[in-house]
Amino acid sequence: MTQGISMMIRSSIGRKWIAAITGLLMIGFVVVHMLGNLQMFAGTPDKINQYAHLLKSMPGVLWAFRLGLIAATGLHIWATLSLARENRMAKPQGYAVAGRKSRLQVTLTSATMVISGSIILGFVIFHLLHFTVQMVDRSYLSMQTVSGGVTMPDVYRMVITGFSNPWISGFYLLAMALLFSHLRHGAASVFQTLGVRDRHLAKIIGTGAWILAVALFLGFAAIPIAVLTGALRP
Amino acid sequence: MKLHLRVWRQKSKESGGHFETYEAEGLNPNMSFLEMLDVVNDRLTQEGKEPIAFDHDCREGICGSCAMAINGEPHGPNKGATTCQVYLRSFKDGETLTVEPWRAKAFPVLKDLVTDRSAFDRIIQAGGFVSVNTGQAPDANAMPIGKEEAEKAFDAAHCIGCGACVAACRNGSAMLFAAAKVSHLGLLPQGQPERAERVRKMVEAMDAAGFGNCSNQYACEAVCPKEISADWIARMNRDYALSLAQKL
Ligand code: HEM
Ligand code: SF4
Ligand code: FES
Repeated sequence: MTQGISMMIRSSIGRKWIAAITGLLMIGFVVVHMLGNLQMFAGTPDKINQYAHLLKSMPGVLWAFRLGLIAATGLHIWATLSLARENRMAKPQGYAVAGRKSRLQVTLTSATMVISGSIILGFVIFHLLHFTVQMVDRSYLSMQTVSGGVTMPDVYRMVITGFSNPWISGFYLLAMALLFSHLRHGAASVFQTLGVRDRHLAKIIGTGAWILAVALFLGFAAIPIAVLTGALRP
Repeated sequence: MKLHLRVWRQKSKESGGHFETYEAEGLNPNMSFLEMLDVVNDRLTQEGKEPIAFDHDCREGICGSCAMAINGEPHGPNKGATTCQVYLRSFKDGETLTVEPWRAKAFPVLKDLVTDRSAFDRIIQAGGFVSVNTGQAPDANAMPIGKEEAEKAFDAAHCIGCGACVAACRNGSAMLFAAAKVSHLGLLPQGQPERAERVRKMVEAMDAAGFGNCSNQYACEAVCPKEISADWIARMNRDYALSLAQKL
């Protein structure tokens, strides 16, 4: 038992499995999160407010998911950064003349996983302080609404207020662009790491990862863009 | 034709290295890259200078010795070819070519273009074999193996251990090499008894040798002279997980 786990933690392939499984869990989360957010477009603020209220009414479930996600994120960062550190040490010197990118199959998204991931992490922390802890703008704490006879936080108004600030919208859009970049490579990588990619599946997996990454970007970006253009208003 | 060369010269493992430039003139476009280096070395020897050290043996693409990067590309510009199988007609007359040894922590430069690739031997020693009792050679076809399995195993067995995969990888990862060796034996009936142990031990030796980790970019497969597929890495990842599962 302990031997298997210690090998998993120490070995290259074991840590790649940890990165892939935690990456997959985070992909599951961002997909559900995006679908939930799209309720902003339901035509009435009640929809997203009641959804948020429903989640908050189950603190046990909510915290189980939160702790699971925190653990997955922590493991993902630990695994990927420890692999990346070894990768740098394994290649102390590059070539004086760089080979043609087309020949060596290097893509920008695959070569910038640590940068895209780190900025996403920075964004996630800001995002939590902004909407969950509500430390960025204290006025959110008093935004309340009554829906179906119940008083609840007015999430709809918080989102509109937040994204009316072009700096906040801009950072959010940048982070979503980097999430696209991270997942364009990452979502396809998962299949290779978990051993289900081959020559025949490679095209489908690559295209699927691209579609997922684009769909996530468009789904998340729609809200700040709608707020900035006035399509979504209080 | 003529070529303008910038070649990495390094006295020993400990000393630093630098580029020296050489004009290679009067070349025949049908010479191989190594024959061109021979011409340059002849001249250097006549001038009383130290010739450029480089590894070579078969000169027909099967031994994997001729390790060098040409313009940052291991084994040069052609797909599915070792350096010894690269001919000067692949280059433009008067072109500048930068020639360097494999660059990877696990392959230290010994002299000029020669690197120490014994880290690969250590991976093979850890499990790249099948244990059999000695005796007479078994009869042909005594152990039936399906055509398809045999072909697949043979595809993986094509790896000549040249190290270009490591040299091309921005992480200096040996996963293509290790995966080819793990899969070649793991596909055949003779390889089954030690299959789980083999992948664990070979990955352990690979990690211990200071190779990096695959980040799924497949530069390895692009430069591999034997066109070993990165599919084998997926297969090794699977095999490794199954092997660890037995330990859980
Ligand atoms: C919302 C957050 C994130 C998601 C959904 C995500 C998803 C993924 C996925 C699916 C992979 C591919 C795993 C594989 O098979 O190799 C991956 C790889 C990677 N991630 Fe993330 N990630 C996130 C955050 C981060 C953060 C915060 C960092 C950095 C600190 C990071 C750094 C990396 C790196 C370096 C890799 C490459 C691993 C390798 O090539 O072996 N990720 N990520
Ligand atoms: S996998 Fe290809 S590039 Fe790597 S050692 Fe084998 S033959 Fe050379
Ligand atoms: S010298 Fe044997 S493969 Fe090139």
